[in-house]
Amino acid sequence: MNLPSFILKNALRNKRRALLSVLSVAMSLFLLVTLQVALRELTNPINDEGSSLRIIVRNKVSLAQPLPARQLQTLDRIPGIVAVTPFSFYGGLYKGDEKFTSFAQFAIDPQRALPLISDAKGVTKEQLDAWSADRTSCILGKMTADRYGLKVGDRMQFTGQIYPCDLELKIAGIYYGTADDRNLMFHQKYLDELLGNPGTVGTWWLLAASIAEAPLVTDRINKTFANTSAEVRAESERAFVLGFVSMWANIKTLIGGISIVVVFALILVTVSTMSMAIRERFRELAILKAIGFKRRELFVLILAESFGLAMFGALIGAGGAWVLFNNINIQKMTSGMFLMFEVTPQMLGLAFAVAALLGLLSAVLPMINVARISVVQGLKTLD
Amino acid sequence: MALPLNYSLRNALVRWRSTIATVLGIALVVFVFVLLQSLAAGIEKSSSNTGDPRNIMVVRKGSTAESASLISRQTLTEIRYFEEIARNENGEPIISADVLVLASLPRRDGSGEANVLLRGVTARGLELRPQVKISEGRWFEAGKREIVVSAKLAKRFANFDIGQSFKTGSATFTVVGWLEGGGSAFDSECWLDADECLSTFERDMYSSFLIQPSDEGAGEKLIARIEADRRFKLKAEKEVEYYRKQTMTAAPIKWLGGFLAVMMSVGAVFAAMNTMYAAVGARTREIGTLRVLGFRRRSVVAALLLEGGLLALVGGVLGCAIAFYWNGYTTATMGMETFSEIVFEFRVTPKLVVEGLVFAFIVGLIGTLFPAIRAARLPVILALKSI
Amino acid sequence: MSANIVTIRSLSKIYQQGDINVTALDKISLDIASGEFLSLMGPSGSGKSTLLHIIAGIDRPTKGECRVQGIDVAKLNESQLADWRNQNVGFVFQTFNLIPVLTAYENVELPLLLTRMNRAERRKQVETALEIVGLADRAKHLPKQLSGGQEQRVAIARALVTDPALVVADEPTGNLDSHSAQEVLGVLRTLSHDAGKTVIMVTHDPKAAAFGSRQIHLEKGELSK
Repeated sequence: MNLPSFILKNALRNKRRALLSVLSVAMSLFLLVTLQVALRELTNPINDEGSSLRIIVRNKVSLAQPLPARQLQTLDRIPGIVAVTPFSFYGGLYKGDEKFTSFAQFAIDPQRALPLISDAKGVTKEQLDAWSADRTSCILGKMTADRYGLKVGDRMQFTGQIYPCDLELKIAGIYYGTADDRNLMFHQKYLDELLGNPGTVGTWWLLAASIAEAPLVTDRINKTFANTSAEVRAESERAFVLGFVSMWANIKTLIGGISIVVVFALILVTVSTMSMAIRERFRELAILKAIGFKRRELFVLILAESFGLAMFGALIGAGGAWVLFNNINIQKMTSGMFLMFEVTPQMLGLAFAVAALLGLLSAVLPMINVARISVVQGLKTLD
Repeated sequence: MALPLNYSLRNALVRWRSTIATVLGIALVVFVFVLLQSLAAGIEKSSSNTGDPRNIMVVRKGSTAESASLISRQTLTEIRYFEEIARNENGEPIISADVLVLASLPRRDGSGEANVLLRGVTARGLELRPQVKISEGRWFEAGKREIVVSAKLAKRFANFDIGQSFKTGSATFTVVGWLEGGGSAFDSECWLDADECLSTFERDMYSSFLIQPSDEGAGEKLIARIEADRRFKLKAEKEVEYYRKQTMTAAPIKWLGGFLAVMMSVGAVFAAMNTMYAAVGARTREIGTLRVLGFRRRSVVAALLLEGGLLALVGGVLGCAIAFYWNGYTTATMGMETFSEIVFEFRVTPKLVVEGLVFAFIVGLIGTLFPAIRAARLPVILALKSI
Repeated sequence: MSANIVTIRSLSKIYQQGDINVTALDKISLDIASGEFLSLMGPSGSGKSTLLHIIAGIDRPTKGECRVQGIDVAKLNESQLADWRNQNVGFVFQTFNLIPVLTAYENVELPLLLTRMNRAERRKQVETALEIVGLADRAKHLPKQLSGGQEQRVAIARALVTDPALVVADEPTGNLDSHSAQEVLGVLRTLSHDAGKTVIMVTHDPKAAAFGSRQIHLEKGELSK
């Protein structure tokens, strides 16, 4: 026997209690990680280089206000822009969905949009050409295609929830490899046609020549359209998404606050039970003291035990969350509300830090008692 | 023979340290549950508070919300003279054609912009919604670029004080009054003149019609008539029905509340079990003695269950009390139907309090059940031998 | 005869109990020779356990001095005292106080974990100690698988595994039937006779006390002889 195995034997002395302690730590840390993941998903913008290069131009009034199509000629003359395309959020209800369709449909100009969707893989040259050539066709993200079991050549019907027209589109290609492999892209021309050519688009989507150029481009655009009948707000895709996030307002704070409450409740309950486990062995600690164990050595025993239990709980809870969210199809489970549900190293770090704090705190009370009470008192207390 | 209530109570008090931890733990679980549900209840309440049961609301078929609906001016001229529509003393049909526009406006605290729902209305629109009142200032005058903002939104957005002005679209509007929607969805809107709204935002379509039918029967007929007319592609329903269905924002919050409550309560059950197992372990001899004195197994189980249930109930009461602190507190988020900022209050309803308490009690009972059964199964002799 | 291992001079211990001062030991002077088997007798509250605790270094006197092997125990700090106890004193308690999750072997090994001994050296010591108490064949048993007398003998093995000069026993037979008590007392006597240990035993049982080579009576904190 050695000290580590003595600690292990102590920790497992009451197997049921050790199990319950570990499980309650695990459960709470699982919850903590889940909340963090959900919060990140709701609030964290896409962070790739492309999201700083791509720019979205919307009406200054709001996203819901359309822009005049004639702005395209002006945009084409602004320097620093590699590509620009109409980009209208159709927001239709896919046939068969009850209330809510989780993937977006965007009307674009396929020719002009090519540089913007260059990271999309899986669509052949022929399919791209076919898409460009056929006004009523579309390309679809693989996630959505998989979810509804769709393949190239299938037709999709939509009811317009924002635009007063319905759509029927043929799938020309299925892509993957972009930041959001759910979306559907179809022809702005087709949308214009169905609406009777109103001469408007939802937003403009454009690609800046370089990251350095991007802020200059947004500036130029904003200035160019200032004091016209349709003033615009141009911003990088990243800033655009961040702006959307800020609209969640107090809900963000609420989820953050609840995470804190969860952690606090966990600390409270676990510290209490784990200290209890040690408090019950008070007399034994007194005997160890009589045999010649010093305070320092007893502290190590106590700390190692509660620390070990807490860490084990973290391993199961946070590790479990990591394994689970890496292996399940979260998109399917939440009908597309959550996309990635990724557990980041920071979250695991946080969970383990909380566990470490827990281990420390549960050891503190018994340690203070051990330090304070003499052997004689210790032997008496539980006699 | 049952053990006295005092027995359960005093035992809980003797272990005061773990008792407090258990009570607080359960209190926090109940708190999170009640708080989130009260949020959802607040959103639902503000929807269900809105509208007049007599009025009929008309939007484009397929639109999930007024703000995403478009109806042509021509449709208005056609529907306007339907005989099912009530008329006022001047013989005008009581129909309000509203224009809804989303405007992205800066927040008061400088933390970016959010969408605000602007409603262009006519005098008819005001008459049809008597629950909307001016709390300060006055109504807007047509043609003067004036706007009335919700008093609750005014606390959250810049330049919303009376006398201040802000630019959106092609116009600069002056705030002349604060409106009070009486806890309805109108508390999340700003109102201005309909024609001005159309011109400022270059719109040539209305968003919705609100109609007062001449009587109950006429209302039913009107709904049937509008829905049946293939030319319109419109959806007509009672105003209250329309608002009652605007619950998309509340649904995920409810779901989150339920999910968190279940997960946290599993953790709480583990903790309660730990506490009660320890309590039973420490009292082995005492429980043996009780059995020797003639108490039955089920009395021992009942006393322990009562002890666990009591603890949990105290936790539940405490949790509800903490949640109640937020009752009536105004908060906001993005409405899923309108994509605009919606303001609502936390509403800790009696139903939620009961649910929270029942929930706590069940957590307590489950947490105590196994330890109690273990205690009852202990052979009397063994119990007495235990040191 | 060899020199005194314990010398006690006008030793007093006063407890604070609420507002009242309780005098547990009142100016006691006592010499204990090396290799002696001393029985400390007296009624409850006579101060016999307090005296034992002070000699063993788990309690401190209020006044006076207690030297063990020439060292004034009261002058050591907590940490030095712990080391000193580990090397010089073996404890035997009334309630055995074995660690329930450890086997007999592991319980005996426990004090050796604090020394620099390697595994093989520890094994030799533990086996010798178990041999002395006659339980070599029970090394792998857990305390709950042993009888009371066996448990107490394991406790004695644990007390002598570090080869201390002094073994203190507080009512070692208090929880045992007379047969087991005889066994335990026999072992303690062997320790002093054959191994040359100094054994100090507190008891209120005259039959147990008779095993000692000398008996001392305490009454109200004073030696009554």
